[in-house]
Amino acid sequence: MEELKKKLLAYFTDLTIQIHDDYRMCINTQKETVVSLLNYLKNMGYEHFALLSCIDWIDKGEFELIYILSAYMEVCDKYQEKEQGIIIIKARISRDDAKVISVINVFENAEPYERELHEMFGIKFEGHPRLTPLMLEREYEIPPFRKDFDTLKYVDNTFGKIPSIEERKANYERT
Amino acid sequence: MRELELFFGPQHLGMVGNFSITLKVEGDRILKADANPGFLHRGFEKLMENRTWMQNFPLVCRINVVEPDHMELIYSMAVEKLAGIEVPERGKFIRSIYCEMARVGSHLFGLWAYANMLGFDTVAHWAMYHRDLLLDLFEELTGARVYHIYLRPGGVRRDFPDGFTDRLVETLHKIGGKVPDYNATFFENSIFKKRAEGIGTVTREEAIRMGAVGHTIKATGMKYDIRKIEPYDAYDQVDFDIPVRTGGDAYSRLLTIRDDMIESVHMIFKLIDKMPKSGEVYTKTPNPFKWTIPEGEAYVRCESSRGELGLYIVSNGGEKPYRVHFNTPSYNHGLTVLEKALVGESVSDVGNIMISLYVVAPEIDR
Repeated sequence: MEELKKKLLAYFTDLTIQIHDDYRMCINTQKETVVSLLNYLKNMGYEHFALLSCIDWIDKGEFELIYILSAYMEVCDKYQEKEQGIIIIKARISRDDAKVISVINVFENAEPYERELHEMFGIKFEGHPRLTPLMLEREYEIPPFRKDFDTLKYVDNTFGKIPSIEERKANYERT
Repeated sequence: MRELELFFGPQHLGMVGNFSITLKVEGDRILKADANPGFLHRGFEKLMENRTWMQNFPLVCRINVVEPDHMELIYSMAVEKLAGIEVPERGKFIRSIYCEMARVGSHLFGLWAYANMLGFDTVAHWAMYHRDLLLDLFEELTGARVYHIYLRPGGVRRDFPDGFTDRLVETLHKIGGKVPDYNATFFENSIFKKRAEGIGTVTREEAIRMGAVGHTIKATGMKYDIRKIEPYDAYDQVDFDIPVRTGGDAYSRLLTIRDDMIESVHMIFKLIDKMPKSGEVYTKTPNPFKWTIPEGEAYVRCESSRGELGLYIVSNGGEKPYRVHFNTPSYNHGLTVLEKALVGESVSDVGNIMISLYVVAPEIDR
């Protein structure tokens, strides 16, 4: 992993890299670099796109995109050497203007992940062929996985308020 | 010939689970397939942000209905990693035995679904009966049949009851004694072979490109298993093999699943032999109502019966998780691999291919 770190730092300028003890490499970068970085790592053998996730840091007004890569390992002897671990790539984008370039040209299976994030967080992935709803059936004013979406308030407004136990007791005694 | 749009599922006899596929067909051939999930979306990842670390267990185990145990395991592993908790040695072995039991049970359930779908009712009934025998053991151990909530951060809830391992070995021998019958009626039956061979083929290159894991990639000859790559619990202390095939079609996938089940049973015997005879089974954790976990993030993974299962979890130092994201194996298989594997196949094989890819709808929706 140390070798890969040296290579990456020589090739890209705007990276900060930390290596954790359990073979996790954490790379902080800018959103413009992500596609070329993923391409580079794919050619280095990190072919398995495991996860694309997003964190809503509402206090800072930013979304943090998380790309997780690992390697397919085939030969049993190689398991013990553990040269290749997991790479976690992080890029921050502004919350008001949530736009980022799609990575489906690099990893084909990123497609449903990007569709889901578009639906749940309202992030627009430029170059994605079908950003249609994946899971939800209703339209939401605020995308539901954002931190300012209040689940309880939404349920009360949409489906009617559920009376408290005291109110229900009072109603029961009255009838 | 005229092109037609065909809605396959969720109310279709060939569909297992709450899932739907929109097919574009010409005659009997499929030209294009669009997976359409979301019939079971419960927003667990959002709900978990509003519950304390221990309160999340009843939600976590309901993500996958067929095998809740690996979901409990991955969540416990993530919390342990964030909070820096170690599991005692005997606890590790109990966890591994419990997860292998869950794997056998889940494969038997999958076998039921597959045999039932193809009309092999006898085999389906055997599989369901044998799964029930395992559920009886789960009930004795944990008090529940399906959603056990037996694992917890720091170990397991309680030790094995007296004589439990003997009864477990007896039950597994009873199931194992039926393997020749399963082979004769199902796996080596020429009717089944004709139905499954050459169907839904995924080559090695396609599987890698589309991020396949589990049996889909093992059926193309690649020994990709997290239990070997990144050993957790007691898996580094026993010897086991990873069964693979080279065909890449539905038949190869089914044989991989059968071999995996047999390997799991053998592994349980080895684990019972090596298990420490006494000792603690869990590390004490703080009061769950006041438990705060230090700030940080973790990505953990384990091998569930469907393939690599991952969990990305973030804590901001509070009593609740800040963000939880499950990377479930069915997500790739159901939304990417399935859409590609269906193109060019016959309409009558849709359910066949879907179950052979081992897609479980609740795992996609979460």
